[in-house]
Amino acid sequence: MPGILSKSLTYHIQELKMLWRTIRSMDVMVHSSSFLLPKIHQPAKTPANNYTLVVLNQHLPRFMPRLWAHAKLRICADGGANRIFYEMPQMTNDQDCETTRNRYIPEIIEGDMDSIRPEVKRFYSNQGSTISDKSHNQETTDLHKCISSIRHRTPSHEKSDLCVLVTGALGGRFDHEAANINVLYVFSDMRIIFLSDDCLIQLLPKTHQHEINIESSVEGPHCGLFPIGAPSTSTTTTGLKWNLSEAKMRFGSMISTSNIVDSEKVTVQSDADLLWTISLRNLT
Amino acid sequence: MATPPPARPAMSHSSAFLLPSSAPRTGSADAYAVVVLNQRLPRFAPLLWAPQVRVCADGGANRVFDGMPELLPEQDADDVRLRYKPDVIKGDMDSVRPEVKEYYSNLGTKIVDESHDQDTTDLHKCVAFIAQNSLVSDVSNLCILVLGALGGRFDHEMGNINVLHLFPNSRIVLLSDDCLIFLLPRTHTHNIHIERSIEGPHCGLIPIGAPSTSTTTTGLRWNLDKTCMSYGGLISTSNVVDEDQVTVTSDSDLIWTISLRH
Repeated sequence: MPGILSKSLTYHIQELKMLWRTIRSMDVMVHSSSFLLPKIHQPAKTPANNYTLVVLNQHLPRFMPRLWAHAKLRICADGGANRIFYEMPQMTNDQDCETTRNRYIPEIIEGDMDSIRPEVKRFYSNQGSTISDKSHNQETTDLHKCISSIRHRTPSHEKSDLCVLVTGALGGRFDHEAANINVLYVFSDMRIIFLSDDCLIQLLPKTHQHEINIESSVEGPHCGLFPIGAPSTSTTTTGLKWNLSEAKMRFGSMISTSNIVDSEKVTVQSDADLLWTISLRNLT
Repeated sequence: MATPPPARPAMSHSSAFLLPSSAPRTGSADAYAVVVLNQRLPRFAPLLWAPQVRVCADGGANRVFDGMPELLPEQDADDVRLRYKPDVIKGDMDSVRPEVKEYYSNLGTKIVDESHDQDTTDLHKCVAFIAQNSLVSDVSNLCILVLGALGGRFDHEMGNINVLHLFPNSRIVLLSDDCLIFLLPRTHTHNIHIERSIEGPHCGLIPIGAPSTSTTTTGLRWNLDKTCMSYGGLISTSNVVDEDQVTVTSDSDLIWTISLRH
């Protein structure tokens, strides 16, 4: 009897140790939208300020000039180049279209090239943009191709600092939006943030605890958390008006919409990958 | 000998409600309701105003007031507003402009004022209201068309999609300028009749909320055959309708989407 008792006790102690290691080893992922701040207000050397910008084929958000200026690399996905060519001149105070177009040249134009207009492609090619024609690959979306390329050309030691901001991923055709959101899941180990005039969204992978620093001058207060891929049996938050405490969330039941950020820091821990969204204030 | 599982009932779908009123209708619902949420009206909004009940959720009333005369600029604005007036304006009234509310109230629109309820979205409230108030004679064959549910703030869009999951036995269609979406509940096999003059060819099947371990389709360019679908894996997007009838059977609730022609 004592032998069985001691075996059971040892087993429980081992289980507790494993559990403790799991809790301790869950890394914290820190998030910040400081890339949306005017340059003078940006903190130095935070990962989010060292970003690649990907422009998809939808109306440019009003704050595009600011995003463009602070990016380390700018990629237009196919028809995204049309948007920069035709819409940027309306967003700047430049005297004429030509001046604007010469100022906003993407380093790369990538995709299957079935949307970019010939005159746009010619203009940027003459200005030195790399045209990366991936028309032979019809299996993946333009966004997928861009993210894949970014990852591929980033040296291993820099991969953890990578941040990609994407405009034009939301709205428009619903299957395009769904495919773009799937890119967040497929590349869940990368920081990829979708931006629109109204909000931003990003994936909070279940492998990490999350700390989201709220820049209240540019974002909030409306926010939400969505278990798009699979239900969550336990999600816990702090910093929200309606916090979750080991809550279950699933489509067809409760999901967190129209929540409000109540603090400068929001924390999220979940057993499911969640999509986080926060509204953007009127930025130009 | 094992008995096969009972066959799932079939459910038919059709976008005939988008056809011009003179076209023969082979719609799968007898009664329609329209709900307008607070976003810019799609260009075809005037086409949808013939149904039995029209509900504006709060600021949706502003959109109808401003948007309908804009979409029909060759007609007199007041005539347009009278012809395209909502039957009900419902919500906490914090978005609808006072002059818009008064204008429609004078035309006979019912104003249903309620205090802010955080637990349900505007769309949820409108769907529940339509069902509870028997505004339509035959609720069992009712289709609710929703404008302004997609795009804009992402948490609103997700909340609106969740309404489709919360009311799986109701027919609710979310419409935008670019596409429409509706739920295909796993409890049924689905026959989707494609109105080629107004919709397609781009389509997709999206497992929002939970993966599907087995989905089978016919009528698509890239059909699924007991295929697994999930976020992080395969989802069916940029598919193409190849036939007038698409069938879908799945072990999971799926969102069907098809592009709308301009």
